[in-house]
This record gives sequence, C-alpha cells and structure tokens, in this order.
Amino acid sequence: MQDLILLIVGTALVNNVVLARFLGLCSFMGVTTKVDTAVGLGMATTFVMTVSSVLAWAVETYLLVPYGLGYLRTVTFILVIAAVVQFTESVVRKVSPSLFQTLGIYLPLITTNCAVLGIPLLNVHDKFNFIQSMLNGFGAALGFSMILAIFAGLRERLALADVPRLFMGPPIGFITASLLALAFMGFSGIHTN
Amino acid sequence: MAGAFAEAGGHPLVEGLARVVGAEGGRIWLEPEQTSTCGGCHSAAACGVKSGQNTRRLEARRFVLDNEAGLKIGERVVVGISEYALIRASSIAYAVPLLSMIGGAVAAQLTFGNDGAAMIAAVAGLGFGVLVARGRAGRLLARGELTPRFLRRIAAGEECHVD
Repeated sequence: MQDLILLIVGTALVNNVVLARFLGLCSFMGVTTKVDTAVGLGMATTFVMTVSSVLAWAVETYLLVPYGLGYLRTVTFILVIAAVVQFTESVVRKVSPSLFQTLGIYLPLITTNCAVLGIPLLNVHDKFNFIQSMLNGFGAALGFSMILAIFAGLRERLALADVPRLFMGPPIGFITASLLALAFMGFSGIHTN
Repeated sequence: MAGAFAEAGGHPLVEGLARVVGAEGGRIWLEPEQTSTCGGCHSAAACGVKSGQNTRRLEARRFVLDNEAGLKIGERVVVGISEYALIRASSIAYAVPLLSMIGGAVAAQLTFGNDGAAMIAAVAGLGFGVLVARGRAGRLLARGELTPRFLRRIAAGEECHVD
C-alpha cells in the first residue's frame, strides 16, 4: 500500500508531467487564463488520463504483446484515448444533459493533449502492472490538474500586475512557469529511507 | 462557459456568452458561443476538432430559460452560472466515478493480489460511480444549480467583455 501511495505522490510532485517531463504544455499555456477553466479541464483530464492508462495497459498486455504488434503501439494508444474521450462525452451526456451543457466544452481539448498519450507510453516503458498503471495515470493527472490550477491563479494575479510592456502576455507566462518548475525541483530532493 | 467573474448574491459567477436561437411562449432556447476554449485558439485551423463538429457540439449544449426579459431570436446575451456549482458539477461528473473505480481496483488488488480481479473491480467501481454521479447530478438539477442565469443583453456592435 505504501508503494502505491508513493507512486501517486512521486508522479504528481517529483516527476510532474508538466514541469519535469514537459508534456501537455499546449493546454498548460493555453487554458490557464482563468481558474474555473483550469479546474474544469483538470478534472476532465484526470478522468480521461486515468481511464486511458488502464485501457492502454489492457490493450498492450492482451493484444499488442501476444500478437507482436508493438510497432502499432502509438497509433493504438491514440485510438484508445480518442475512444475514451468519446465514451466520456457520451456517458456525461446520457447521465446528465445539464452537466454536459456545463462541462462538455473541455472534452475535445483532451484529445490533443500529449500528456494523455505520454503517460500510457511511460507505463509500458516502466513495465508497470495494472494497478501501477492506473495509479501512475491518476498521479500524473493530479499533478497536471494541480499545476493548471496554480498557474491559472498566478496568471489571474499577473493580469493585474504592473508588468513591463516587453514582457506582457506569453513572455511573463513562460518566466513564471520556469520559476514554478524551479520550485517543483525542490521535491526531487525528498528521500525515503 | 468560461468567462469573467461577477458577484451575485455573494457567490462569484462564471459568465459566458449565448445567442437566442428559439423562442416559444414564455421560454427561449439559447446556444452558448465559443469563447476562449476549443476552436478559439491560434491553432484552430490546424486542430483536429473541425468547425462542423464544434457546431454540433454547440447545438447539443442548447438550454432553455424563462423569457422574463423579452428577448428575441438572434439577440446575444451574457449568462452566468455559479463558480461553486461549476466545481461541484466537475466533481460529480468526473471525480466520483474515478475515485470509485480506483477504490474498487486497489481494494481488489490488496485482497486478491492479481490483475484480473483488480480489472473486474475497477469496471464495477466505475459503473457504481456513474450511478452515484447520476443521482447526485439529478439532485443538483432539481435545485436549479446547473441552470445558467440571464444576466444582461449585449447591444449590437458592443465588444465582448468576456474573454
């Protein structure tokens, strides 16, 4: 049990998908202008990333490896992610049309998020089993959502700050992101005995 | 529905733009306008999500309001939904099924110690979570928390204040 908790914490903080692995930077910079947007996208991404990790593990274990189709891994995982997004959209629409009206806008953005593809590929690379793949996906998504929300809060404050004209917009955004990445590097100093 | 914040009754509102696409009796049908998210970015032309798909998605997200302000077809309005309701809706739609799935899988893994049992428990947990989410979303809807509120008209030619 301790290993599983460490896996989630390690993936969310130490090997953060955005600040340490530099995945999902498009949505990180593009959808973090408002906290509410960041939270909505973060939760949707958490769901899709975790379920995609699980399904990708099943496809890898029961289809790609036994039939020697490893060269189709990337294409297959992209299909799995697209299917999960479509499935999620359909379920949310059926379960609660009002929730779909409120939240459905974030789902298409996830299909173009490379972090969602990167995590299942890293799971294969690290030879994780089912539960490890699921929790690695969940931890990575938690880290992604946390960074999205933190960065959105910082950008809301930056919008009111007296920033030199040359640095307004994306430049100050990138500088802030780099400082945030430096701060998160501190987590890599955590040791367990 | 992403947009600027406003205060109403002490609760911050998330604002969004919508266009009146139908009116009948005392009710109007509104279609949300795409603002800062998908289709609105600089990479929209190169994006895999095409405009036709976006149109269908927007049609699917139409909602009904009482026409107390006497709105006509084609008018653009600003509508708002409580930020708290948005976060609750996100939690219900995504967090409840996900945590149920993870809880089931971890419990099965610790009990039986094999991937097959964990997979079956994960699927069962996801199904249970979806049922719970459906019930909780129904209660939110019954309280009217998920229904956007009409805030104000946008005059013809007025620039959008919702980014």
